[in-house]
Amino acid sequence: MEKTTCIVVGAGPAGSACALSLSRKGIDTILLERGRTPGEKNVSSFVLFMTELKRLIPEWEEDLPVERNVVRTDQAIFTGNDIKMITSYNYDKIDDPITFTAFRRRFDAWFAKKAKDAGAELITGMTVTDLIKDKGRVIGVRVGDEELYADVVVGADGYYSSVGEKAGLITEWDPARCTLGVKEVLDLPPEVINERFQVSDGLGCEMGLWHYNYGKLSFGGTTLYTNTDSVSLGIFARVGELKEKNVKLHDELDKLKQHPFIHNFIEGSTLREYQAHIISHGGRIKPENLYGDGVLLCGEAGGLMDTASGMGVPTCMTSGLMAAETIDLAVKKNDFSAGTLKNYLKFLDTTSMLDMVHESKRYSDSLVGNNAGRANYMADIADSYNNYWNADYMSKDYHPLFLNLYLKAGKFFVPSLIRWIVTPIVKGFSLYKKTVEKIKRKIRSRFYEWKKQYDS
Amino acid sequence: MDKTTCIVVGAGPAGSACALSLARKGIDTVLLERGRTPGEKKVSSFVLLMTELRRLIPDWEKDLPVERNIIRTDQAIFNGTDIKMITSYNYDKLKNPVYFSAFRRKFDEWFAKKAKEAGAELITGMTVTDLIMDNGRVVGVKIDDEELYADIVVGADGYHTKVGEKAGLVTEWDPARARLAVKEVLDLPPEVINERFQLSDGQGCDMGIIPYHFGELSIRSSTLYTNKDSISLAVFAHLGELKEKNIKLHDELEKFKEHPFIHKFIKGATLREYQAHIIPHGGRVNPENLYGDGVLLCGEAGGTTDTASGMGVPTCMTAGLMAAETIALAVKKKDFSADTLKNYLKFLDSTSILDMIYESKKTSDYWVDKGKLERPDCMAAIADSYNQYWNADYMSKDYHPLFLNLYLRVGKFFAPKLIRMIVTPILKGYSFYEKTVEKIKRKIRRRFYEWKKQYDN
Amino acid sequence: MSGKNSMTVDEKMSTVKIKIDKEAHITVNKELCKNCTDRPCLIICAAENYKWDEKSDDLVFNYEGCLECGACRLICPLNAISWSYPKHGCGVKFRFG
Repeated sequence: MEKTTCIVVGAGPAGSACALSLSRKGIDTILLERGRTPGEKNVSSFVLFMTELKRLIPEWEEDLPVERNVVRTDQAIFTGNDIKMITSYNYDKIDDPITFTAFRRRFDAWFAKKAKDAGAELITGMTVTDLIKDKGRVIGVRVGDEELYADVVVGADGYYSSVGEKAGLITEWDPARCTLGVKEVLDLPPEVINERFQVSDGLGCEMGLWHYNYGKLSFGGTTLYTNTDSVSLGIFARVGELKEKNVKLHDELDKLKQHPFIHNFIEGSTLREYQAHIISHGGRIKPENLYGDGVLLCGEAGGLMDTASGMGVPTCMTSGLMAAETIDLAVKKNDFSAGTLKNYLKFLDTTSMLDMVHESKRYSDSLVGNNAGRANYMADIADSYNNYWNADYMSKDYHPLFLNLYLKAGKFFVPSLIRWIVTPIVKGFSLYKKTVEKIKRKIRSRFYEWKKQYDS
Repeated sequence: MDKTTCIVVGAGPAGSACALSLARKGIDTVLLERGRTPGEKKVSSFVLLMTELRRLIPDWEKDLPVERNIIRTDQAIFNGTDIKMITSYNYDKLKNPVYFSAFRRKFDEWFAKKAKEAGAELITGMTVTDLIMDNGRVVGVKIDDEELYADIVVGADGYHTKVGEKAGLVTEWDPARARLAVKEVLDLPPEVINERFQLSDGQGCDMGIIPYHFGELSIRSSTLYTNKDSISLAVFAHLGELKEKNIKLHDELEKFKEHPFIHKFIKGATLREYQAHIIPHGGRVNPENLYGDGVLLCGEAGGTTDTASGMGVPTCMTAGLMAAETIALAVKKKDFSADTLKNYLKFLDSTSILDMIYESKKTSDYWVDKGKLERPDCMAAIADSYNQYWNADYMSKDYHPLFLNLYLRVGKFFAPKLIRMIVTPILKGYSFYEKTVEKIKRKIRRRFYEWKKQYDN
Repeated sequence: MSGKNSMTVDEKMSTVKIKIDKEAHITVNKELCKNCTDRPCLIICAAENYKWDEKSDDLVFNYEGCLECGACRLICPLNAISWSYPKHGCGVKFRFG
């Protein structure tokens, strides 16, 4: 009987981060991947976020396979005829990169190799079909007829987590709480990309578009970003709404490509690869279901995605690292029961992950309720700054720039601001910093209340 | 002795609008222009706002000389290595244009021709050298040795207004309250412009850039916009600060052109024309000095430009139209004294021009006093909250989710004013919002009227 | 805006590399489909792998061209689709995900 300390299922960002961290701690780890190479099953609207990766692999510059260093990011509200966009250029990131575009096939393979180099045993082309259990406790995995035993199994096997399902931690896959993505990688010469996105060789742009009531969908997202000699264009929509409205997402993508705003960027390109993937909403899995006897979930398997900002890779990576910390503790205690593995939540809570899950769940709730408040807010700010669109000096009701800004944008801030800031304002503005602290504490206490039900 | 009812000095947007309106009312009008053709003396960071022009000349589509229909506008805060930009695309303006990029030479000529067709007498190449006065009343203008008499003279002759100066209405030209502009028109093939600004043929982009903590100047701005087969790039700075710090603005323009953000747009371009111009701050002329016996000031001569948004042509045009209304009233009353012409302020106040002058003066005061803007920080906070990669760190407990970030970072800019303006109704319930806006408006108007009162008696 | 028509899904699928599994990772209980009124699988699949054959009044599907997003499994109102990850490293191989 083959037995190891830990089996990590899935060599994506969460799984590889976990295996890498475990190996560095000297814990025997097997990393199983169903693809022939890690990353070939994965699709990201992928911008590789470096903050954590830099700390994890300080020598990343040697061989990290990247496309372009993102120095420009855009967030746009897209309503057909009317587009508002907030752009950020950060030229100082040329020397100190913070985000890169990259391909998952190359990045995931690179990252899994780092785990392997650290001592983890990477086995590819292995699809876990079942768990081996002993009195409700997970003690190994089945890959077809083969059996593999371990003290703890980490499910980092994506949205359709077999580990989560077979361990009884995941019981439902709600179409309303997940997003389908259809993506195209479109070839374009680098110099054309440079002109259209106003970047230079090696520098990239990443654009996030939020659609509100565009086409048949009430809410959707689009991402457009630059690779070295191609651009990636992906469209996202909630599976629930697609079903309800009988909409083919790939038709919507084709329509979007005809829209002048998108068309201007991709004109003359040829399709390199067509992709589809499913992305869960954050907060899909309750914290109490992130662990069990002999099992932990991380990454998309645990729904550890930031729904509001759309980031997945860095959050999944963080959860993988915290899973490793938990296992390290369990190894020291020599106890892999749910009672010990519960510490996973404590470790997650030393990072911003649990807050993020909580916020993502709330955001997801409001999406499901079709709440599009944010769009209006951003549109109002843009309209106030770019105030030509409604300028009419002959009218008595035309407001000067700043008044306009306060009146139009301010109303979105008012309800929250009043609640948070009215007290210190009354006591004097110098108390501002303290109030921020208080607000944070209040939010944390709200969060702990929510969390409490899982703690006992 | 040549005598007419009204002489309008300067065939720019204000003068031509005034002459056009007067001619339509059947009032004899002579429109004098110092250039050989109207517009040849003009430099604008020029985007032609159609709102009023469309009402004034409904058949504009026939022959209005324009370059590109602006469907994209950007406002950018420029901080050297850090640039935040808010962009607005309005594709429905393809069918219903709100503004165009255009060249002043062509537009001013077209607009003056409209005034001429309506019946105004346009005489070009005529520089007014003095006013003819009678008992302190303006009764005509001198062009070297020639004399031209009129019941009323409208000074629409720009920043260095001869009419305003000779009538004693404009007495100082404060360098702190004026900006110098240096501009280049750079040739680029239309298809390159389309690629770089993400446009199609005929569609244009207008970009306002506020450099902030960049270079040696504390306050300045820049504009970059697309013509058919060229782009216009200008930098603006306070005359006062240029003087104080001994800076050549055209050197700053050169430095600016080398910055990667600007360089990407203009790479490979060749210079078509080099230009310079001066732009006053709004509120430069006190309202009591916008009129006198037999004289009115409008356009830049009266400082009727919008400092906060940087718009001038539409505000000047509006002022010109209101001057025409005032003169029509004076013609009916057969009284061209300051008393009657004081109604100019009432007419201006039926539009948003007086509010605009007041706000512009406040903005200008702020710049002159504090030597900085508050706007960039606020905009940068908004942009940073949305484009939050730059500070995301999920491993840190202090990393805020998007919306909390937005409230905390952006909210503080809104808080002080909002609290003052909105706290009471909020306590009474959010449904009071609309009423409150009305209240605020009324309060602001009251503040404004107080300021205005001193000029009313 | 170009009036040029976009590629068909079949043309798009020609860019995707797939190692075909002998064993089907999708199975459908087609009997249930006959009573299905919505048939959302026909619209949700970005590869258009599910088609309704009017002649035989039967669901036709092709597991070989699967992009492995799994949306069909989520969306099926009758739980007729059983879907799992392909084994032995088979299935889609995204090169530029």
